[in-house]
Amino acid sequence: MTTTYDGRAVRRHAAPPLRARRSPAPLILALVHLGAAGVLALWWTGTSSVVGTDGWLVGAGRIAGLLTGYTCAVLVALMARVPALERGVGSDRVARWHAMAGRWTVSLLAVHAGCVLLGYAMQDHSSLVHETLNVVLHYPDMLKGTLGAVILVAVGLLSARAVRRRVAYETWYYLHLLTYVAVFLAFFHQLSLGAQFAGNAVAQAAWYLLYGGAAGLVLWYRVLAPVRLNARHRLRVESVVREAPDVHSVLIRGERLAELGAEPGQFLRWRFLSGALRWTATPYSLSAAPRHDRLRITVKAAGGHSAALAGLRPGTRVWAEGPYGALTAGRRSRRKVLLVAGGVGITPLRALFETLPAGPGDLTLLYRARTPEDLALWGELQEIASVRGARVYSAVNGPDGRRADISAAALRTVLPDIAEHDAYLCGPPGLMEQAHAALREAGVPGRRIHHESFEL
Amino acid sequence: MGTVFSFDIACDGGPRVRSAIEAAVASLHTADAVFSTYRPDSQLSRLARGEVDLARCDADVAEVLRLCERARERTDGWFSAGYAGGLDPTGLVKGWAVERAARMISEAGARGVCVNGGGDIQLLGEPEPGQPWRVGIAHPLRPGELATVVEGADELAVATSGTAERGCHVLDPRSGRPPVDAAASVTVLARSLADADAWATAAFAMGTRARHWLDAQAGVEGFAVTADGGTWRTTRFDRVSAVRCS
Amino acid sequence: MLTRNPLRRTVLGAAATVSGIVLLLALKPHSAPAPALAHATAPTSPPTSSAGAPSTGAPSKGGTAPAKRTGTVTGSTVQTDYGPVQVQATFANGRITGVTALQTPSDNPRDQEIASYAVPQLTREAIAAQSAHIDAVSGASYTSAGYIQSLQSALDRAGG
Repeated sequence: MTTTYDGRAVRRHAAPPLRARRSPAPLILALVHLGAAGVLALWWTGTSSVVGTDGWLVGAGRIAGLLTGYTCAVLVALMARVPALERGVGSDRVARWHAMAGRWTVSLLAVHAGCVLLGYAMQDHSSLVHETLNVVLHYPDMLKGTLGAVILVAVGLLSARAVRRRVAYETWYYLHLLTYVAVFLAFFHQLSLGAQFAGNAVAQAAWYLLYGGAAGLVLWYRVLAPVRLNARHRLRVESVVREAPDVHSVLIRGERLAELGAEPGQFLRWRFLSGALRWTATPYSLSAAPRHDRLRITVKAAGGHSAALAGLRPGTRVWAEGPYGALTAGRRSRRKVLLVAGGVGITPLRALFETLPAGPGDLTLLYRARTPEDLALWGELQEIASVRGARVYSAVNGPDGRRADISAAALRTVLPDIAEHDAYLCGPPGLMEQAHAALREAGVPGRRIHHESFEL
Repeated sequence: MGTVFSFDIACDGGPRVRSAIEAAVASLHTADAVFSTYRPDSQLSRLARGEVDLARCDADVAEVLRLCERARERTDGWFSAGYAGGLDPTGLVKGWAVERAARMISEAGARGVCVNGGGDIQLLGEPEPGQPWRVGIAHPLRPGELATVVEGADELAVATSGTAERGCHVLDPRSGRPPVDAAASVTVLARSLADADAWATAAFAMGTRARHWLDAQAGVEGFAVTADGGTWRTTRFDRVSAVRCS
Repeated sequence: MLTRNPLRRTVLGAAATVSGIVLLLALKPHSAPAPALAHATAPTSPPTSSAGAPSTGAPSKGGTAPAKRTGTVTGSTVQTDYGPVQVQATFANGRITGVTALQTPSDNPRDQEIASYAVPQLTREAIAAQSAHIDAVSGASYTSAGYIQSLQSALDRAGG
């Protein structure tokens, strides 16, 4: 992999005026919360009073129901792979939002169903079982609504951390797609039974807009955009190169890749159309700056899927979606940059190391791996370092197997002006936490520590 | 209208009230003459056939049609004055006429007025100082029994719509057919009987979703006996009804 | 994010949500608005002052004190779309003990059918209304029961 054209570009912009690109996260979070406030206002204006225990129960159930309906749409929108989210906020952070919103949705759903049914049963002086059967069987759209709720709760339980670990990724992923079915099924009872929507054309229109918007985002960014991308770029495997024990690089050839708009530090979701691999789309970072005709990823064999990549034949067709990820040059706010990589987390940092605009001495890479042999791409990194006047340090386990600690003191020894740096981290969770803590201790503020984790 | 109107008036027998009662009775006869869909010569029938236009009709016709339109909007189309292609505001006109009659008497100085027009009731004031009116809701499936009792004073209207006695006379304006999941009867409480009558007609046409819909309306409460004999009521209905007979 | 505790966030979020919902509910008024009006107490005696008139007859004078009536009262003949209706009510000490239909519509089978159940139904209803101290009865489609509003006129004549 050569770096010439990027290298030249880099030197020309050696000292650009630096201003970190603002993350849209606060704005998006504010909008989401504003929407929730609007939903509460809908309840508020449509409710004149809350009387008696049954009134409290039904009221709480309605508020929870409205919020559930709202968060369902937000959940779907969060997973629509909208570029503003995936590239602006960062896929990992969006996924954590999604997980948080998911837990919240399932809890609200339980409150909604429980409170409404209890309240109705009290109002009607009937038993909870009788009331439940009555509501489920006789109320319009409630069979659908109930089925949707059951699916949502089931998917929620399946996604709980304890269960998730025991379920194959593919199983989890495809069951997770049922969420769309659940949200669709549950949509109808919201309008036909939702007290706040009856006769309120504005609220109905807003709800249609909310759900239509979410559906539109999914259709556009998860279906149409990938189809367009793959039709345009026609990606195929060019070659597979061994970089280290268990680490391989896959070179992918395609057309008009400049139009892809991929930046160093970003990743795509890759689906190799060969054998069983075709059933899984996996995120891998670009391990070199994208070129107009070629992309490169570097993969460590961690499971069946990543191991199988080593055997990919040249010419295999590739289906890609992306680019995603916010670990890019735009996050940077200082002239000096420290990159901290752990193991195969080197891949996005390798691309950044190659391309981040920097003068000699501004750029430092700290690369930790178990053994010297595990330092994949080490030769390339040294080459880039010498061309760019950057520094690269490796940290491998001692002969006794002890891991090299990343401490604030060690960082200060290597970089006395560490507090003046931006830091980019990528690696396993243990390293990330350790490096994050050490950097904070060494005086780097949290907003200048950029990281992305794939443990979604 | 083929309906008997019953007046229950609490007052000290002033001549103003007496003449107001006469005027109220006359207004009901007039309303019948103007709005009857059974009389081919009523203004409404002629209007429906296109023989007269609205401007030439009584001012009451325009007012009732305006109320119908307002009810249609407020009920999201569930109340409709269009019936099997014709023009039929009967879902509202009886309530409107009864309410008007009751208010005429009340404004003449009666302490309490209860006008019952074939089961649709407008209450004003109170029967005795400090005492509410009490209205029984007939149980549609158990003849002779009351499903519940409602109490109120000052201003309360009670209208009931249902299938009882004459078969289904309310159609779902969206399908033009009787409502699929119709209750046996739906009772609506409001301040104005014109409103209550329209809400009850609309709520009956809605079927089971009426409960939630009524719950969301300000100043309106609902109670229904379902086809299987169960009942439901809106959240605050019990604050109005005093006695549970079910 | 690395330093934040997801469990704590979840607990905090749940607590905030629950308190938010409770707060919203608590801020709403807790007594019923219109049309829940005035008096919540059940009356201890039936309302006494009443006067009534069917639309077919002249209104009688309001405000008369009712007599505890015993005997038979015949209601007005009520013309309905189905034919004339007239009922007779029997009172014992101001309370209805029986109702007889003197005239019911009979020109077509459907009307007879209606009359055959509407009359007894309203008889029982009238008795129920009496026993529950009811001022009026609301029911579905009283058009045919307009017949029995002849009964109401009998009640009115009996003075409640």
